[in-house]
Amino acid sequence: MHTRIEILAHKDDGRAHQIEKTLDSMGIKACVRAVDVYSSASVDAQKDSFAQSLANPVTQKVNQTPTDFDWALEIGFLPGVTDNVGHTTSELLKLSAQNDNDDADQECFSSRLYLIKGEAQRDDIEKLSAIISNKLIQRISIKSNDEYARDGGMDVVIPKVVLEQNDVIADNVNLDIDDAALETLSKYGIPNADGSKRGPLGLPLVYLKAIQAYFKKEGREATDIELETLAQTWSEHCKHTIFASPIDDVAKGLYKHYIQRATKEIRAERGDQDICVSVFSDNAGGIIFDDNYLITDKVETHNSPSALDPFGGAITGIVGVNRDCMGFGQGAKPVVNRYGFCLADPRKTPNYFRDAKCTDALLPPSNIMNGVIAGVEAGGNCSGIPTPSGFVYFDDRFAGKPLVFVGTIGLMPREINGKPAHEKCAQPGDKIVVAGGRVGADGIHGATFSSVALDEGSPATAVQIGDPITQKKMSDAIIKEIRDFGWYSAITDNGAGGLSSSVGEMAEGSGGFHLELETVPLKYPGLSPWEIWISESQERMTFSVPPENTDKLIAFFAKRGVEATVIGTYTDSGRAKISWHDDVIMDLEMDFLHDGNPETPLTTTFTRGGEAEPDLAEPDNYEDAMLTMLGRLNICSKEFIATQYDHNVQGTAVLGPLQGKGRVYGDVSVTRPALDSPKAVVLSQGLFPRYSDIDTAAMAAAGMDMAVRNAVAAGVDFSRLALLDNFCWCSSDEPERLGQLKRAVETIYDIAVKYQTPFISGKDSMFNDFKGYDENGQAIKISAPPTLLVSSIGIMPHTKHSISLAPKAAGDSVYILGETKDELGASEYYDELGHLGSNVPETDAHQNLRLYKLYARASRDCLISSALAVGYGGLGVTLAKKTIAGQFGLDIDLSGFELRSDKMLFSESTGRIIVTVAPKNKKSFERNFKGFEHCHYIGSVSYSENLLIRDILTLDIKTLDEAYKAPLRDY
Amino acid sequence: MSAKVIVLSGYGLNSEEELLHAFEQSGVEGDIVHINDLIEKPDTLSAYNILAIPGGFSYGDDTGSGNAFAQKMKLALWDALKAFVARDTLTIGICNGCQILVNLGLVPALNEYGERDVAVTYNASARYQCRWIDLAVESASPWLKDIDSLHIPVAHGEGRFMMEDDTLSALKENGQIAARFVTPDGTAAEGEFPHNPNGSVYDIAAMTDKTGRILAIMPHPERGMFTWQRDDYHEIKDAAQREGVNLSDESDGLQIFKNAAAYFSS
Repeated sequence: MHTRIEILAHKDDGRAHQIEKTLDSMGIKACVRAVDVYSSASVDAQKDSFAQSLANPVTQKVNQTPTDFDWALEIGFLPGVTDNVGHTTSELLKLSAQNDNDDADQECFSSRLYLIKGEAQRDDIEKLSAIISNKLIQRISIKSNDEYARDGGMDVVIPKVVLEQNDVIADNVNLDIDDAALETLSKYGIPNADGSKRGPLGLPLVYLKAIQAYFKKEGREATDIELETLAQTWSEHCKHTIFASPIDDVAKGLYKHYIQRATKEIRAERGDQDICVSVFSDNAGGIIFDDNYLITDKVETHNSPSALDPFGGAITGIVGVNRDCMGFGQGAKPVVNRYGFCLADPRKTPNYFRDAKCTDALLPPSNIMNGVIAGVEAGGNCSGIPTPSGFVYFDDRFAGKPLVFVGTIGLMPREINGKPAHEKCAQPGDKIVVAGGRVGADGIHGATFSSVALDEGSPATAVQIGDPITQKKMSDAIIKEIRDFGWYSAITDNGAGGLSSSVGEMAEGSGGFHLELETVPLKYPGLSPWEIWISESQERMTFSVPPENTDKLIAFFAKRGVEATVIGTYTDSGRAKISWHDDVIMDLEMDFLHDGNPETPLTTTFTRGGEAEPDLAEPDNYEDAMLTMLGRLNICSKEFIATQYDHNVQGTAVLGPLQGKGRVYGDVSVTRPALDSPKAVVLSQGLFPRYSDIDTAAMAAAGMDMAVRNAVAAGVDFSRLALLDNFCWCSSDEPERLGQLKRAVETIYDIAVKYQTPFISGKDSMFNDFKGYDENGQAIKISAPPTLLVSSIGIMPHTKHSISLAPKAAGDSVYILGETKDELGASEYYDELGHLGSNVPETDAHQNLRLYKLYARASRDCLISSALAVGYGGLGVTLAKKTIAGQFGLDIDLSGFELRSDKMLFSESTGRIIVTVAPKNKKSFERNFKGFEHCHYIGSVSYSENLLIRDILTLDIKTLDEAYKAPLRDY
Repeated sequence: MSAKVIVLSGYGLNSEEELLHAFEQSGVEGDIVHINDLIEKPDTLSAYNILAIPGGFSYGDDTGSGNAFAQKMKLALWDALKAFVARDTLTIGICNGCQILVNLGLVPALNEYGERDVAVTYNASARYQCRWIDLAVESASPWLKDIDSLHIPVAHGEGRFMMEDDTLSALKENGQIAARFVTPDGTAAEGEFPHNPNGSVYDIAAMTDKTGRILAIMPHPERGMFTWQRDDYHEIKDAAQREGVNLSDESDGLQIFKNAAAYFSS
């Protein structure tokens, strides 16, 4: 008999009130009760003591669900979707049953029931369910009071996965077919016996022909698992073919010729002052923190999955990049998370569909926004990793595919057991051990799928949901205990491509592997071998373990509630070999697997974009103009996100997301990752997607300069600053888009070498396009603007050098550092007025470098009381933010500048910082910048309540504060 | 016996390292012990006189924050726990630790240890809240000796104390309400967000058992024990520099741990 336990929450329950609010926004007044539901087929679940253990008797009632409602809406998970609450309940059931009998099946499933009393129709409840759930992963049940009474309540649903058992063998695939058939195979996948297809391989024809030739040479047919493996390993997602391929006259490709070379040249130039320890070769980049520690950083994107299931995509992204950190060297401890979202305006409701019949709608921007925010919240908070900084950037071209950036900074000793901690290598004879979660059908084809544009055929099985607690148990066991025992030769995470990537990559160290696939622990029976091999089920790490250590490793994991299993052996055979029971189902040359993909030379074109520079009248009213600018989505406060993210956990936060009494959302964070060291890590980032509409070189340069300048402004040691690049491009099969890419990459090479800021890690996502239909069924393509996110990570010698953006005292002097030019092309101001323009900000790296070096000296000498780098919205917005943050007025005089007032206020010229300086430091400060022609005194922090910009505007703090905080306050 | 602390870890607890650091800064030695190791050897507890359950997300807050971890402890460790609190020991639960103590019925334990008298449930905003708050402290608990107010952060999704009216009256009468949310100028928060960040009844942020030796506190003293951790650090640092005075490294939260050290040295 199946058991259903209903736990009724208190009538004053915050979750129920949220539903009431949502209904209210639909014009329906209702009273809602929340009920947590647990279902199980286990006999142990029938015991009353178990049900009681799931409730707090003070606020909750067990199986006393009231019936005075109009509608019952229940939301549970579809079979196979990660159900974290269900997992915990299953563990509780196992714990409580241990004292009695031992039932084999103690699986529990969770769902939530809302009882709604109010004048709503079935349509309304369906609409509500669409807002608060996602049909890709969840099941919905709606009953009217009559139906509920007739059926005796809601139905008992046990969403167990049941797979047909007859298909669990490897199939041969005939590749002796013509080019058109090869392309069909690539687009729809390997056919099953029933004619259905397994999902895209995403391989270009030239790759398929190489594979065809390989098997011809081997004199046999390929197996399905071999083809799937090659598709994973050679995917754009894993191989970064666009950055690796020869492009125009750049034979080595963009990555090697520009990005890697920049770092090489900087390291050589720096000599013994080099800060890099491990660059580009591992799951993250690593730089020196101090004599004892290394600090690592990695920023990932998780765009395609987040478009389908924003919550699942984002949580999987953040816990995935946490594993990159754990999988760096011998394993680094995650100490900071960072995030960034590029989204469409959440207040708009565009109608885009995946199908021409307009039945399969894209999620509205507000759902995507709320989902990705919640996903990073759940992943980061549950893992105990602080999230002190991030950004949100809005542009409606992110409606089809949002960009979701997630990053993790790690801390690790420079040496462990007398050996460099960042080194690792699988040895022949080592056992392959996998630890953590089990394998299911989730996330199959994630790697190949994120390498193509989203359209109607995108597979829902690509959606996964992270389970942060399973991962936390594993992470603690590795980073806090096992790592320091020295039991393994190498460790890496399971991300895109699952075992096929982790084992395949690690085996490059030893020179081959033999995996016994039937030994991999599964969530449920019935998976085919190829599915087990490429499944992206989360929360798994792969180890290379000398045979004498495997038993103790597995036993130790078991003591921490983590399953670990030997699944094969690393070899030096030169072969990638997999067996399934007694059959060999894969046997590929390692060289072919890793380097067999043919070169695909690329050619590019480039045309500068933009319009003529508009001839605009000055605004009649500068007060209105300023308030409008402050309320723009890219400028206004994102405090509602900051307060949801735990930035204090680990007790390391120095400068968090909200700065000053006025709580301004900052662009930079300062963290003391090691409790026993006063040194701090400074993190920031920069991106200007809209600048690409004119010139991607300007876009890349501005983003890079912003990432550096934010960190400089906060007081970083400029000689200890490194960068990460994330290219999120679109339509990367078009020469013009590739031309834009090449131009951006050339630019960041130049600036990196000038600034002497090495790149240590990067990741790209090349097809951020959505192909679908508008509300009239017309085909459309929405491409995200070409976007480079540059993230910065630097070291500050002592937290006492940290500088926040808020002015500290009336009477202080205000200075502008850097030159303001007539550069409003693609600016926030022009966009507000409906123009693009032409004069996009150009970055003068030489002049900026002079400023940053002088500034670093001033900040080291503690001469600067507050600082804010000028970003979106220019000088005017920067002054307003400083006014709000400090809750002090400013008295500013810009009459010494030649630019017209609107251009002076809203130009986005790069390389500028606004600072305030205490009277006693004024002389030293001015002496410090002597000879630098762009250091100007522009006024003072005043005793008044106003931001006064003489002859231009006067606005009081409260008015500014409201304009800045109101737009997103209610999200 | 000089003070020695056992800090629990495992299953999603996550603040054990900074919590042990807080005790060490206050002169208390100790160990982080995984809950499974303690369950294997419950006698381990007898070597300690302070039990500290840190913040975190044990079992992901599933089935109610702190509930699953408390159920696990109750099934496997209850006798050892009862023996521990019966001795002259101190126990502290912070954030998730507070939720665990409440679900274990060790706090407030109006009648006897083991009965759940109150609940710590979803914030009224239904949102996780990470922010700095102000507390007024009025308690005879040894943990809170010589403390009138605290400026420390909260970080939780379920921090709202709820209870029957009778329970609240009893707690007031017994002096078991250890700390209440107030506005920055010290007046009662009266449920007002954000000063009371979770809608907690009577602005309750912390409570003790009847002896005062067991403290369950939602805000995080270990994240507010150094000046550089404070939200107003940059303002304080700047003011000190202007006045040419040295800035103290210590902030409000540390006194709680110093009190624990003093309790066993006196």
